[in-house]
Amino acid sequence: MDQHHNIMRHLRALPQETPQPYDWAEFRRRALRRRAKTAYAAIAAALFLLVVGIAAWIRVTRSDSPESIGSQSTRMAGPAASGSPASVDSRADAAERWLVSLPSEPVVVRVGTRAAVAGLEDRIAQIDDFLSAARVEGTQPAKLVAVEEQRARLVNSLVQVRYAETLVSQSR
Amino acid sequence: MAKLVEIDVPEERLRSACAGDEAAQAAIYAATAPAVFALIRRLIANRAMAEDLFQDTMMALFQRLPEFRGEAPLGAWLRQIAISKCLMFLRSPWHRARLHLENDGEGAHGLSALVTPAPPLEGLDVERALESLSPTARAVVWLYEVEGYSHEEIARSFGRSVSFSKSQLARAHARLREWFEPGEGRQTCTSIQSNGKAL
Repeated sequence: MDQHHNIMRHLRALPQETPQPYDWAEFRRRALRRRAKTAYAAIAAALFLLVVGIAAWIRVTRSDSPESIGSQSTRMAGPAASGSPASVDSRADAAERWLVSLPSEPVVVRVGTRAAVAGLEDRIAQIDDFLSAARVEGTQPAKLVAVEEQRARLVNSLVQVRYAETLVSQSR
Repeated sequence: MAKLVEIDVPEERLRSACAGDEAAQAAIYAATAPAVFALIRRLIANRAMAEDLFQDTMMALFQRLPEFRGEAPLGAWLRQIAISKCLMFLRSPWHRARLHLENDGEGAHGLSALVTPAPPLEGLDVERALESLSPTARAVVWLYEVEGYSHEEIARSFGRSVSFSKSQLARAHARLREWFEPGEGRQTCTSIQSNGKAL
């Protein structure tokens, strides 16, 4: 107990003042420097936010944004079933051009979506084989219209799935 | 040698300082800075950090001076600001990470940096004993034993429970007793640095 009191007495007897680390002039200089630093940091933060805002705005409004891709794909995936063979061909060509422009593998891959894409691609490939064989055999084009429309519908479905996939990967 | 809580400043000078009179501000600085820095050095061993916190405290003093209502001496009000800045620093994750790195590395808290110029031998020993404590334990001991804080106030300041304050104090007392125990129990600066273990 005595030892404890002794220690506490020593603690309380320690100097209550030490030489100030620097004088008033140095304090003022450091204060000004610190305020300048704070101001620079605020300006840098504001600039950063501005740049991020501009980048986000550009991303939202640029021509190949998801919305514009969506409208493009909707246009391509439009009334395929009801058009003439020529219009079916042109729509299918446009849809296929858009599909080609997409990256082969999206950033985010979902098993279910991939399976759907693979299934559609297989069925399109089967129809392509069938059409090639039919043309070689000299089948009349009029008889193949239904098959071509079926192919166009599959391509449109593929476009829809890939478009959804693109949206998901862009939103990450 | 004035204690910080007892330092007071004439009202006239306070008014001038609030109005932006640089001479009055310089006079307040000269009157309070040595005691403020001493208090901060007791709580924060690292000199560079202590200087940073001292600068923060004095800047806060002049920014908040118009809020000072004069119900207690200026020194008591300033002590609150200084202690609050130090405890905020001790509680910061940045400080904890730094402490962790220091403990992994050298282990000691820069003993030589703490020692004030030419203190009496006994005082130097007490300072070394204090330095052997962890920053939190040192702050608790100093606030309780010297500044007169209660366990409740310490717990509130640290954002912890009363038992935290009591246990820190008990362990710190044990450590200090060990330090001052005559004979084989006594530690030296060298042994602390090589062991690198604080409370």
